[in-house]
Amino acid sequence: MIEPGKDERHLSELMRLAQFGNAMAYEELLEDITPRLRRIVRRQRSFLKTEDIEDLVQDILLSVHSVRATFDPQRPFMPWLLAITRNRLADGARRYSRQGAREIQVDDMAVTFEAETPNTRMGTYGDPDALKQAIGALPPGQRDAIEMLKLHEMSLKEAAAASGMSIGALKVATHRAMHALRKLLKDS
Amino acid sequence: MTVWLAILFPYVALVQLVIAPRHNLSTRISDPRFLIEQVFAFSTGIAAVVAAFASVIPGERRRLWIWPLLPLAGWLGSLGEGCLRAGLDGISLHHDLTCFPFIAVLGTAPGIVLWFMLRRGAPMTPHLTAALGALGAAGLGNFCVRLGHPEDVTVMLLVWHVGGVFVLAVAASIAGRCLLNWRSLTSASQNAAR
Repeated sequence: MIEPGKDERHLSELMRLAQFGNAMAYEELLEDITPRLRRIVRRQRSFLKTEDIEDLVQDILLSVHSVRATFDPQRPFMPWLLAITRNRLADGARRYSRQGAREIQVDDMAVTFEAETPNTRMGTYGDPDALKQAIGALPPGQRDAIEMLKLHEMSLKEAAAASGMSIGALKVATHRAMHALRKLLKDS
Repeated sequence: MTVWLAILFPYVALVQLVIAPRHNLSTRISDPRFLIEQVFAFSTGIAAVVAAFASVIPGERRRLWIWPLLPLAGWLGSLGEGCLRAGLDGISLHHDLTCFPFIAVLGTAPGIVLWFMLRRGAPMTPHLTAALGALGAAGLGNFCVRLGHPEDVTVMLLVWHVGGVFVLAVAASIAGRCLLNWRSLTSASQNAAR
């Protein structure tokens, strides 16, 4: 087991070399401190999920990288690292409480409906004979409007030219016809 | 800190050349009360800047943050003593509005340089760091203004000079997290790495 003092000096030395651009020393340092940070975060924030703990560890490592120039090699490394860790944990707690206040956790929902039966709601008025009879029972103007606009799918202009009615009159006739058909089919 | 002082002193000297110190400055310099006030004002500014730099170093001793308190107390005490001596004559309704903008302008350039330097540190206590930085920059700005306006201390001076410095410090403190935050620091690192 490495003595704590030796370990501390070793980490300070690695950081000092990293500040001078030694990539291998920097890599060794990060590999050494990452599991320590994970343990610290897990101990301090045991209620968090694994992915959230990992996010915090990454935040801390990113912060260490950003402010590595502030480390004084004459001083011990761990207090410097722990000060950053405490600060980032506090930031994380603030972020966590803000998100918790704004978001509601919902269960994972299926992308499609679970039921395999088709949606038959639209089939309620699927009887073409009943519809034909209902249209036949309409007054002539309304019947013509429904046949031209809904059955033959003519535009308002085309229907107006064919019937001699104005566009406004066609619209009124269609509206009244739909209302009458709904009533007729409901009653039947 | 040394780099910032190396920028500050030539700037102050340049400003003094432009402002052209009042003719009675030489007589006021021999006044021990004026000297004490200026020494405390200068010390407050320097101590605040030192504390601001200390606050962005992770693990640095926290007692450095209270360094400005002692010279600040001395500064306020020297000004208060001057107000008491001035008595009712010092309670003037004359509002010298040119003093506060002068302090702000004189403190702005060193303040901006200070902000760029503090941003490279760790934003451990952004509100405190911003307040200390503003106190330092504005305090040193006030020091320069007093060299150009070495009048006797009055309540007017206390309000517009010292009050102005504190207003700037409070405003900077409120904006602390906007001025200094981890997000801008880490995103700059990530952009540099790409």
